[in-house]
Amino acid sequence: MKCEILYPGAFPMVRVYLNEAETVKAESGAMVAASPTIDIESKMEGGFLGALSRKMLSGEKFFFQTLRASRGAGEVLLAPTVPGEIVLLDLDGINEYMVQKDGFLAGAEGVKIESKMQSFTRGLLGGEGFFILKIGGTGQLILNSFGAIHKIELKPNEEYIVDNSHLVAWTSTTTYNIEKASSGWIASLTSGEGLVCRFRGPGVVYIQSRNPGSFGNWIRQFIPVSE
Amino acid sequence: MNQAPNALCFGDGLPAAGAPCHVTLSAEGLRLEPVEGSPLSEEFVAFVGMSVTAGGLDHDQLVVSWGAGTSARTVYLKEPVLIVAFRRAAPSTLLAHLERAAEQVRRARHSHRALWGSAVGVVVGLGLMVWFGSDLIVEWAVARIPAQWEQTLGETVYQDFLSKETVLKEGPAVSAVQEMTQRMAAQIPNNPYTFRVSVVQSPVVNAFALPGGYVVVFTGLMKKAESGEEVAGVLSHELNHVLQRHGMERMVKMLGLAAVVSILSGDQQGLIGLARQLGLELATLKFGREQETEADVTGIRLLYDARIAPDGMIRFFERLSEKDKERVELFSSHPMSAARAKRLKEELAALPKQTSEPFTFEWKGVQDSLGASEPKQ
Repeated sequence: MKCEILYPGAFPMVRVYLNEAETVKAESGAMVAASPTIDIESKMEGGFLGALSRKMLSGEKFFFQTLRASRGAGEVLLAPTVPGEIVLLDLDGINEYMVQKDGFLAGAEGVKIESKMQSFTRGLLGGEGFFILKIGGTGQLILNSFGAIHKIELKPNEEYIVDNSHLVAWTSTTTYNIEKASSGWIASLTSGEGLVCRFRGPGVVYIQSRNPGSFGNWIRQFIPVSE
Repeated sequence: MNQAPNALCFGDGLPAAGAPCHVTLSAEGLRLEPVEGSPLSEEFVAFVGMSVTAGGLDHDQLVVSWGAGTSARTVYLKEPVLIVAFRRAAPSTLLAHLERAAEQVRRARHSHRALWGSAVGVVVGLGLMVWFGSDLIVEWAVARIPAQWEQTLGETVYQDFLSKETVLKEGPAVSAVQEMTQRMAAQIPNNPYTFRVSVVQSPVVNAFALPGGYVVVFTGLMKKAESGEEVAGVLSHELNHVLQRHGMERMVKMLGLAAVVSILSGDQQGLIGLARQLGLELATLKFGREQETEADVTGIRLLYDARIAPDGMIRFFERLSEKDKERVELFSSHPMSAARAKRLKEELAALPKQTSEPFTFEWKGVQDSLGASEPKQ
């Protein structure tokens, strides 16, 4: 499997080349176009219970689609729902990424996806909900963001503060705590930041340049209300 | 050389996400071997000079660090097998660190579980409270609704309803109903409501009351009733629904938690918005059986206080009970009319005898006026 990002920027697509019998699993609905040699299968990753728990708990899609090059090599074009960048990550079996539920676009066959329960405070206050995706295994992982994607590299014990709704993914060697944005509660709320995540290295944190929740609130004012 | 990686190494000159490497343990220390394409070089690190902590997102990884400055290296071990092997091989000097690391993990897990446990406990507790104590919560919340709110709310629905109906503006029927209402309202001590009664042209044999004291009587009821006292009985029952705030109780129950929250936060607009969603459902709101019985009992006392002959109310139920034959009591929110009449007779018997005062209008005349105003079909 080889991947290539087309039209980098706000409206990218990924071209995935598959050799015969290779597969790629993608978020359901992510396929834009494919060679005639590709078959689309719907698959419940991790079995029925695994899929159910992922759907119920993290709000991710119940089914992933599996695109299989069953009748010879071919290519697949994949695109996310929201405008925003795409990033390719290589998983080598030892590194793992925690991904917020809308961040996953596609992954190679060897990529393993599971729902993971966060600690209580992180789940309640972190803004990603109580469950996030833990993605490990081997092969290429394709993530998408809302807006541009920005990589923050942290050395051991180096810290960085991120507004929680801008999170896309982070490595499992990175820890984080939820804190107030300012020293006082009033200032935290009035600054418009509220709660932030203090990340501590080593590892990598991917953030998105736009906040989907804020964008939703902004766009709501233009939607005519039917009486 | 080409082993599968089992650890990640961090440090200057290494990728930020960590350089995958293969770690093996011996009695003296730890051997770090690079995997294919890794910028690391093979290295042996003695246990002496190493420090160990717990790390990673869930404090479940063993973090081994050594060196200082630019040559400082940190290795994250994740696999349980490898962590156990490390603990076996490590000398006693490192055990203190290890124990501290293990203790950190245990504490993190413990607080994690305790928090989840208490959260589940709170949710279950709230669930039980709502299940068993919902009536108490509703009563408590309703008692906190100012009469002013009820009035605003009732009026909104009242106007919505009346705008779609033919309302009698004047005439003997209207003045008769007003006379009944005034006589009863005068007997209510500390009445927070101003009752407003409208007579609506409709063949429906019914009357209803909205929160805040807005009452609608249908002409169908007035034509069916054999005396003014019968209508007064139904009115008294409806006025008592208002006084006991039954409508608000039903509404708060239907709106549920959202209403409780808006009451507690003093958000009147929110509550009215919620009520409007229900719209005219409020007008056809079914009361519970207990509420009906309560309104009956307090209704007959109100009639008694206003010196209106209370047997009109009883007679009306008795006549209704003739239509009840096929109804099964269990399925109805209204107690059977016959049972209601019996209950009311008992209540009445307990009250001292008094002579009632007749109304100033003549009932036959009132009914005749309705017959004349009925639109021709």
